[in-house]
Amino acid sequence: MRNIWKYILILPGLAGLLLFMVIPLTGTIASTFWENGRFTVNGYLEYMQDPYFLNILWVTLRTSLITTLVCSILGFPTAYFISKTQPRVKMLLLLLSIFPLLTSPVVRSFSWMVILGESGLLNNLLTFLGIAGPLDLLYTQSAVTIGLIHLFLPLSIITLVGVMDNISEDVTQAAESLGARRSTIFWQILLPLSIPGLLTGSILVFVGSFTAYTTPALLGGRERVISTFLYQNAMTLNDWQLASIVATIMIVVSFTVIGLMNWAADKIAVKGGKLSG
Amino acid sequence: MKIRHLLASSTLFLLPLSACGSSDDGTSSSEEPTELVISTWGFAEDFFRKEVYAPFEEEHNVEIVLETGNNSERLNKIRQGNSSVDLIYLSDYYAQQGINDDLFAEINYDNIPNAEDIYDVAQAPLGEAYGPAYTISQLGIAYNPEETDVDITSWEDLWDPALEDSIAVPSITATAGPMLLDAASVVSGKDQFDEDEAFAQMQELNPNIVNEYSQTSAFVNMFTQGEIAAGPLMEMFVADLKEAVPEASFVSPEEGAYAVMNTVNITADSENKELAEEFINWHLSAEVQKASAAAKIDSPVNTTLDLSEEEAEGLTYGADTIENLRVLDIEMVNEQSEAWTDRWNRELTSN
Repeated sequence: MRNIWKYILILPGLAGLLLFMVIPLTGTIASTFWENGRFTVNGYLEYMQDPYFLNILWVTLRTSLITTLVCSILGFPTAYFISKTQPRVKMLLLLLSIFPLLTSPVVRSFSWMVILGESGLLNNLLTFLGIAGPLDLLYTQSAVTIGLIHLFLPLSIITLVGVMDNISEDVTQAAESLGARRSTIFWQILLPLSIPGLLTGSILVFVGSFTAYTTPALLGGRERVISTFLYQNAMTLNDWQLASIVATIMIVVSFTVIGLMNWAADKIAVKGGKLSG
Repeated sequence: MKIRHLLASSTLFLLPLSACGSSDDGTSSSEEPTELVISTWGFAEDFFRKEVYAPFEEEHNVEIVLETGNNSERLNKIRQGNSSVDLIYLSDYYAQQGINDDLFAEINYDNIPNAEDIYDVAQAPLGEAYGPAYTISQLGIAYNPEETDVDITSWEDLWDPALEDSIAVPSITATAGPMLLDAASVVSGKDQFDEDEAFAQMQELNPNIVNEYSQTSAFVNMFTQGEIAAGPLMEMFVADLKEAVPEASFVSPEEGAYAVMNTVNITADSENKELAEEFINWHLSAEVQKASAAAKIDSPVNTTLDLSEEEAEGLTYGADTIENLRVLDIEMVNEQSEAWTDRWNRELTSN
């Protein structure tokens, strides 16, 4: 009896997923293979041979991979520091680090406009100190990357703190007492044990920045990323067929990158596990 | 005799009054108000509610319901079919798309007598059967004289090398995008629009362009932040610009500014067609046109208005001005828009 109830309880969630995710997604993807009642992959072939589209895809991929990498590098020490503090301080620090998530991406992008603009905070400082003339920062991919890092760093930190909390102090102390150097402790104990957090965080950051719309639209200027390109096709050109093809390509790319990340994480974890075991 | 005469005339006089009274009773107290759904941009909503909707609601026992959003969003909603919109306000470019997709009802101009009082160019700009333009603005150039030494008087001045990295241009998918493309063709020296020349000319503008904008608020922001010193802008937004940057200036370029027409149409599915026509008639009336002009909301198209210089400040006003505006062939623009967008993306915005 109990078992039956268990399954009945997941039914509403299942129905919701089926209705609002599986069916529409299948519909969207299926529609890209049909044209005039025939099966075709022409839409994809055209895109994949189009240097303009490939460039957009590459720019988006590059920006989101850089964002993911920087978020991991910046998030790791921050999360380690937070996880080692007293519970009360920890709460406060966690709250502070997720604070950016509580403001809308539009507001955040506007504040970056004020900072990165030609007569913005940063350029004024650089000119005042005589380091460099006004730099072209706003409306470039660098501005987008900066905005995305600001947006997604909290995700990296939170997921890493969760995992690092579970790494017992005893393990590192044991290593230390056996004469391991700090770098050895990092590479062979901390990093491998943090992999699950690093992986989850990276997936969240990557998918978030790969599909982000507001930040690139506001900070990116004339160069398009894949989501702004999709928006243009759907909303201003009313070409939903092309928009669906772009959406499907985005899904495939996301899954491929996630798969690659999983594979790499396995490699590192296995290596660490072997060495430490 | 006298008394009888008086009586007779008074009954004659009273008759229509009493008829009025009874019909008033019939509509305002016992009948539910009819719902009229208007799809519009949503700017200056306070003004429209008070000066335009409220008097109409009262007179015709109507309840006006608004749906707001930008042109493409609202048009797409109608396209998808399940909408109760009766009247839709759109720029001419999007209205033409609606006509091409058979989304609008044909209008009976017999019910819109005020249409005879408006500029010829505003009367059914997209064909006899479709809605009028209730306002005409112009696309010219806004610039900040304190940020640039270039004395801007023509479209060609935007190409001045002194404006390097200092202008913003409308994106090709914005209403003003195709107008700039046409201006580029004019600057290249062609009498007739020449697509290849226009794109080549636009490429030469690239070093001056900081960014594209698809919403005017983005232009105003860049202007206020000092990111840009100049760019094509519709005159109706100059007031916003001056609020932020008082020294901002607007010119109608020598080669001719472009007419920007906002139209109103009745949806094909509307069940209140006559009421909707009545509303269009009301919006074109001297009363509403005058109020919109006085509040600097919309430039008037009704030719019976006589505005003082002060009242006309900041508005696109006067037969001379209107007649000299360049008018794009909206049907051609719509046919080409996809091809132009593609070329624009590839040739102008990719690095």
